[in-house]
Amino acid sequence: MAIVSFPSSILKVTNLAKSFGGVKAINDVSFIVREGTVTGLIGPNGAGKSSVVNAISGFTRVDRGVVELAGHDITNQAPHRIAARGLIRSFQIARELQKLTVLENMMVAPFQQLGESPWRALISRRAVMREEREHLAEAVDWLQMFNLFALRDEYAGNLSGGQKKLLELARALMAKPKVVLLDEPMAGVNPTLTKTLQGYISRLRDQGVTFLLIEHNLSVVEAICDHVVVLAEGAVLAEGQMNELRETEEVISAYLGG
Amino acid sequence: MSLLLMGVGFGLITASVLALASVGLTLQFGVTNFVNFAYGEFLTIGAYLAYFFSTVANLNIWLSMLLAALLTAGFSWLVNRVVIQPFLKRKAPLLILLVVTIGLSLFLENGVQAIAGPSFEQYAASSGAIVNIGPMIFTTQQLVIIAIAIVLMTGVHLLLKYTRVGKAMRSMSDDPDLARISGVPIQRITDLAWVISGFLAGLAGVVLAINVTSFTPVLGSQFLFIIFAAVIVGGIGRPYGAMLGALLIGLVTEVSAMYIDSAYKTVVAFAILVIVLLFRPQGIFSSKGRV
Amino acid sequence: MSSLVFYLLTVAIFFCIYCIYGWGLNLQFGLTGILDFTYITFVAIGAYFAGVAALQPGNGGLGEQYILGLHLPFPIPPIIGGIVAAVLAILIGYVGLKRLRSDYLAIVTVSVGQIVWTLIGNITPLFNGWDGISGVPQPFNSVFQLDFNHYQWVFLVICILFAVLGFLIIERLTHSPFGRVLRAIREDENVAAALGKNVFRYKMMAFVIGSIYAGVGGALTIAYIGAYNPSGFTTMETFIIWAAMLVGGSGNNRGMILGAFLVPVLFNEGTRFLPSPPGNPLLAESIRGMAIGLLLIFAARFRPQGILPERKTVFRLDGLQQGGEAGGDRLVPQ
Ligand SMILES: Nc1ncnc2c1ncn2[C@@H]1O[C@H](COP(=O)(O)OP(=O)(O)OP(=O)(O)O)[C@@H](O)[C@H]1O
Ligand SMILES: [Mg+2]
Repeated sequence: MAIVSFPSSILKVTNLAKSFGGVKAINDVSFIVREGTVTGLIGPNGAGKSSVVNAISGFTRVDRGVVELAGHDITNQAPHRIAARGLIRSFQIARELQKLTVLENMMVAPFQQLGESPWRALISRRAVMREEREHLAEAVDWLQMFNLFALRDEYAGNLSGGQKKLLELARALMAKPKVVLLDEPMAGVNPTLTKTLQGYISRLRDQGVTFLLIEHNLSVVEAICDHVVVLAEGAVLAEGQMNELRETEEVISAYLGG
Repeated sequence: MSLLLMGVGFGLITASVLALASVGLTLQFGVTNFVNFAYGEFLTIGAYLAYFFSTVANLNIWLSMLLAALLTAGFSWLVNRVVIQPFLKRKAPLLILLVVTIGLSLFLENGVQAIAGPSFEQYAASSGAIVNIGPMIFTTQQLVIIAIAIVLMTGVHLLLKYTRVGKAMRSMSDDPDLARISGVPIQRITDLAWVISGFLAGLAGVVLAINVTSFTPVLGSQFLFIIFAAVIVGGIGRPYGAMLGALLIGLVTEVSAMYIDSAYKTVVAFAILVIVLLFRPQGIFSSKGRV
Repeated sequence: MSSLVFYLLTVAIFFCIYCIYGWGLNLQFGLTGILDFTYITFVAIGAYFAGVAALQPGNGGLGEQYILGLHLPFPIPPIIGGIVAAVLAILIGYVGLKRLRSDYLAIVTVSVGQIVWTLIGNITPLFNGWDGISGVPQPFNSVFQLDFNHYQWVFLVICILFAVLGFLIIERLTHSPFGRVLRAIREDENVAAALGKNVFRYKMMAFVIGSIYAGVGGALTIAYIGAYNPSGFTTMETFIIWAAMLVGGSGNNRGMILGAFLVPVLFNEGTRFLPSPPGNPLLAESIRGMAIGLLLIFAARFRPQGILPERKTVFRLDGLQQGGEAGGDRLVPQ
């Protein structure tokens, strides 16, 4: 975990708050995510982790607080605008596009494709086809890495639960994000593959991609997270490196169940 | 000024008809979470059943109305069981469900037309004595309509507020998953919502037919989007909102009809619908909870 | 010309026009999941505007009243029909497509259908009210000077040209990245948004393109019949197209052709001769309406994907330059 220099923050969350009716899902949360790191977001069930991801990615409007991405205020912007800035999120319960094949699910991901304009789709067929080939090659690579290549022409709705989670992750990465928010990407994925995925995430991190990772398995967190934020009851309980946090009493009592 | 008050008088009558209809639609939506596009035909069926009882069987109009409403309630129950439930059991997507209700609407409207014919019908009952309340003029029939609406709205209020089924309906409307796991008898409550919805639709159909004096098989389908306007103004799925929405739409359309051509009443209702959808799609009276 | 040939020509022309309608609706519903319950209103608007674009100026007061009367030559009227339908779609889309559940658009379309129908009927200066406009000139016939029977052949050729062009365009759109985004939106709007797609914009485009098909189809209809009035665009007309789409195969443009043959042609023509007793002159019409309603319900129940379901997209991978062994250098995102 050799962090050579101190990279600047790419994602900054300040005093975030969100209630649903009477339930305070997020209750004044602030933290930063440094560029090119994997930051873990952990906490008991119902701590507000997914809510934080939803708030950052624009899927729920926050009541209060500011979200900044690379210095831009993105608070309460529309999800597609935030995604267009290079922040891609995955969903805790995999949301595969059921009646699209696995490969098509991947092919939706690249941002601003030429052929997504109906006009260009009609008149620039050659250029569109060329771009399709490029994306196809990338998609095939990702699918091979995620052990999904054999299923490429299967409808995504027919995949198993674990395969759907893999597709969810692969599709997010296919979008070439600068910042990725992953909501329990490895839940339901078998241990061997989990190891492989950890390897991919670390390598992408080394290439400059930033991750915010929600994960319940603390050994995974310990293995790949440079920094960890612990949430409990909608607030930041502690933060630091995983091995330090294991010693912290509040964390132990609130979360580790010691 | 007296023109305005006259409009208010008409508005109260329309609002009463509309309140019955929109609360019925919105209650069913709250519990099942999809719009029933065949709802207009439920009104039509109610109106024609009452026509049968009052004209063919020579019963009193109010008794006919009650019988018609009860039968429409039963019919609504049947629609849920026979048409809707098979789709829900197979977890059909919302889009398909909506296509089914619109198909049903086409089937029912044409069914009524096939049986009753396309010509205008009219109840035999007289509209009763004229009653002056200030500058507002009502017939006794119209006063009865207003009274019916007030009684039923109070009834719906008591049901939702104080009975166990009412509370169950509200909880299903607020959070269906939570309701399911906390042991609400989903099937029974859904049945009941359809029954109440059908009952209100039946009543609304009859009072609508009385109010417009003569009617055809498109009675309900032409009224449907005014019901939509009231329901959406109040926030879809919210009975109290629908009552207020009905009052607002009723008053505004009738008052405006005093000043512009009354043929454009529906355009006024439509304009309100559009404005609400553009600026406050959750409804102008919506607060926290659904019901 | 025998009356049988004449009849078959008419049927063939309507078959082409229904295909065009169907492809537009299919783009909206089959691909994107947009509920347009008043598709026929866009057809009607296209028809009326194409009609008054082709007609001579109306002689106000006497005879038929209508706006415009531009006396423009074919194929400008269908273009105008398509554009006006697109404008109407944009207006409705702004109200019904933004941030709202799919039921809201359905509600808006049902309401708009009612309103437009009532307004066109009641405001006579627009399109001559309930009587409608008539005497719309036949395309190119000032050149050919054919009698009505022989002119049928000319019109059939025109319709086939439009249908072929319409098919090529819709197929290319369906199988392009654009079509893929539309299907992604149909499956899950949130995923599409999370991947940076502007869902509202795409839905709007699908709605508008579909409506252009409606408008152009309407323009062809009025060019053929020469007349149009509010009885030509009742709710039932919308659902004949819907039934054709659901039966043929939503999301499949070839299935749509099959549907256009089965429902509007076979079914409509087959029930044309139902009796209409004097006591109930609309009986046949009512029975047809009931049948279309039932057909929608049964199609949705037993074969919602249609006879020819949406085809699975299979990419050909040969000749791809791949990144080598799994986890090769292509792992670099940019
Ligand atoms: N849309 C919503 N409506 C109402 N309450 C919500 C909503 N979303 C989240 N909550 C509530 O907010 C709280 C935090 O939920 P959240 O999903 O963020 O937890 P989490 O930390 O992701 O939990 P888990 O580890 O189980 O995924 C919970 O009490 C939840 O019930
Ligand atoms: Mg979560």
